[in-house]
Amino acid sequence: MTLYHFGNCVALLLPYYFTYKYSGLSEYGAFWKCVQAGCIYIFTQLCKMLVLATFFYSDSSTNSGEFNFFAEILRCSVDVADLLGFALILSRIPGKGHSKLITAGLGWATAEVILSRGIMLWVGARGTEFSWIYIQKCLESNVLLVQHLSTATLIWLFTRHDLNKALKPLVSILLAVTIFKGVWLEGLLHILSIGPWTAIAVKALVAAIIGFCSLNIYACLAQQIGI
Amino acid sequence: MLNEADNLADIFRGGLPYFLIITLPILIICSPCLASEFEVMAMTKYDVNGENFGSRSSVISLEAKSLYTWNTGRHCVLARLLDISLNDFNRIRQKAGGLIIMLPDDVQTLSNEVKDQILMLEQQMLTQSIPIPVYFASFTKTLEHIINDITSTTIDNNTQDKTALGQLLLSVNANGYHITVDGQNSAANKNSKLASIQGEFVPNQYAMQKENTGDGNNLPLILITANLKTFGIINKYPLNADSAVLMALIEIFSKLHTTLSTTPKYRLGFFLSDSGLLLNFQGSKKWLEIDDNLAIQNVEFVLCLDTITQSLTSNQPNVLYMHVSKPPKEKTSISNYFKLLKSIAGRNSANLTVEGVHKKINLADSKLSWEHERFSMKRFPAFTLSSARNPTSPLRTTMFKDKESHIVEQLVTSVKNIAESLACYMYKIDPLSDIFKGHAAITEDNILPYLGIKAILQNNDIKDGFEKYLKNVKVFYDKPDEREPDFMFYNGINPKLNIYRVKPAIFDLFLTFAISLYLVGIYFAIQFFPKLYGLISTSTNISIRCFIKPSPNVLKRK
Repeated sequence: MTLYHFGNCVALLLPYYFTYKYSGLSEYGAFWKCVQAGCIYIFTQLCKMLVLATFFYSDSSTNSGEFNFFAEILRCSVDVADLLGFALILSRIPGKGHSKLITAGLGWATAEVILSRGIMLWVGARGTEFSWIYIQKCLESNVLLVQHLSTATLIWLFTRHDLNKALKPLVSILLAVTIFKGVWLEGLLHILSIGPWTAIAVKALVAAIIGFCSLNIYACLAQQIGI
Repeated sequence: MLNEADNLADIFRGGLPYFLIITLPILIICSPCLASEFEVMAMTKYDVNGENFGSRSSVISLEAKSLYTWNTGRHCVLARLLDISLNDFNRIRQKAGGLIIMLPDDVQTLSNEVKDQILMLEQQMLTQSIPIPVYFASFTKTLEHIINDITSTTIDNNTQDKTALGQLLLSVNANGYHITVDGQNSAANKNSKLASIQGEFVPNQYAMQKENTGDGNNLPLILITANLKTFGIINKYPLNADSAVLMALIEIFSKLHTTLSTTPKYRLGFFLSDSGLLLNFQGSKKWLEIDDNLAIQNVEFVLCLDTITQSLTSNQPNVLYMHVSKPPKEKTSISNYFKLLKSIAGRNSANLTVEGVHKKINLADSKLSWEHERFSMKRFPAFTLSSARNPTSPLRTTMFKDKESHIVEQLVTSVKNIAESLACYMYKIDPLSDIFKGHAAITEDNILPYLGIKAILQNNDIKDGFEKYLKNVKVFYDKPDEREPDFMFYNGINPKLNIYRVKPAIFDLFLTFAISLYLVGIYFAIQFFPKLYGLISTSTNISIRCFIKPSPNVLKRK
């Protein structure tokens, strides 16, 4: 609508800064690490795009309103690359305890926000036309931050050898749920024809549940190895 | 540089400002995307005899309001054509900042009263100068939705008395629309010209020699004229039924003229001009002013066609009117023809009547009512055939048209009546016998090809048609005088209409307030997070102690 509205939308992204500031990352001087994580995000996305463009049939004629189940599954299967990207961040970027995970999740999420929402916000929210979609997208980015933080945790747990054997399948299931969220959650929202605001609430709920589960498992392991 | 940066602030101390110098212009160039875009048609703008007509300005950047809520010149009225009354329009014309009219989806399905109302409004708009920009948009679902939206919010506002807080909430919730039309103020087109075309049948030379009447120029002339309407309220071609009739007549009589045995003792001339009622019959005026015009000598009578078929049917009686400037005396050519036409029309279709209407030329009027007045002023016997009784009938200039099949049906009858009466007149035949029958019968095929003709200058279609059948075909161009132009057109392109959904400034303030509340919540949540973590740690510790080998289900339950 105006530059002021753009400011409003950007203000909604402040939780990223809060996370950075109050999780203690700023005291470790982890800014550069976050940037590195973001670079790995860019690298992963480029690889994904290459794979999608090379091997997958993209039918541009299908309407955006329709939800194509099969195409979504294919697309999500490529998202496994995201997990590899996370694993790469965790293995390459040194860090201690909690801050390592937060660095990975925050760097990834920030890069995603800047790259996928930045242009849209700059071009759209600043325009004369008012639309709720920009506020909605910004709120959704907050949900995605929680989502990526828990994904980073899950990946870290998955790579640990000293994880309790009984918890291993649970971690795998949670990872699969996260990866294929594009299929089952979007599909469900589409079938139930839920409005955009409720959709964000549902997504936040799902992200909170996944996050809570991973936090529990992480707390358990962290107690064992003493960080 | 980035390697040493420990914090966000460190980066700005380094060379980043230089990068910003590059990236900022790029970001600024990325202009905000456009919103709902509609094709609109600008209202026509033209001058005749120094008088201005049509919408005189073209740029709109105003708030959209409905017909019932606008009150200042900073509002642009957005309304359906059907909702606007003459009073509304006059008020808008004087006080509003702009007007955007959505045309109805289908004019044909409307009731007769509504059609009449539309036609009256259209005529009202055409006959005056409108200082505000006026645009017409065709019917779309999106625009309909927007109009409903601005109309409905106002109704809510008015019916309920609210407290201050309620009013505030309402204004936060209200949808505003901002309209922009980036039409440039159109410049006068110095090259505007009006074309008119003449042609005549030259009788077969052999027939002439046999009867020793010399060359064909001495024969009495029957002139048939019509106008092409090249614009109406918008810059589109209205139905040109008159010219279709004229072309059909040319085709029919060409057969008679080429045959030796049926060569008539009359010359049949045709004249078609691009300027009708709206341009004060400028084409025929110029044509009559041409010195020693051989084409108009020894005139028997001039037959002008004007609105021979109503393009939009309303409940008007099925009458063909013959307009004259002075009542024809007995035994003159016009009265003879009138009697012929009357009997033939009565025979061809039972419910069609022919009536004579007499109206004196008002020389004080700047605008003429009928084309035959141009000829009458030059002392030529002339009359107009029209389906309109009143010269101010809005049907003469309307843009709206009926289904083609209906129009064609009416046109066939008109062509039949005119062609047969002319033939009876020229050959002195008894009007009770069928003239055009067998292979010469007049059908839809005679008219259909000509219904689409638009202007003389377009594609040379008319010129080719004239040259195919007629001799002495000449095209005249009339250009406006440099100092005192008789007429003037304006260049204009149909611009785009953008409607942006906007919220009032109070809404953004409200939003900022809500967002800061949310951020405070997030801040405390993050502050509280270590406590939550501690809580979970202790609970998992307990569970680990309780179950030596904890199952995932136990954890999940927590």
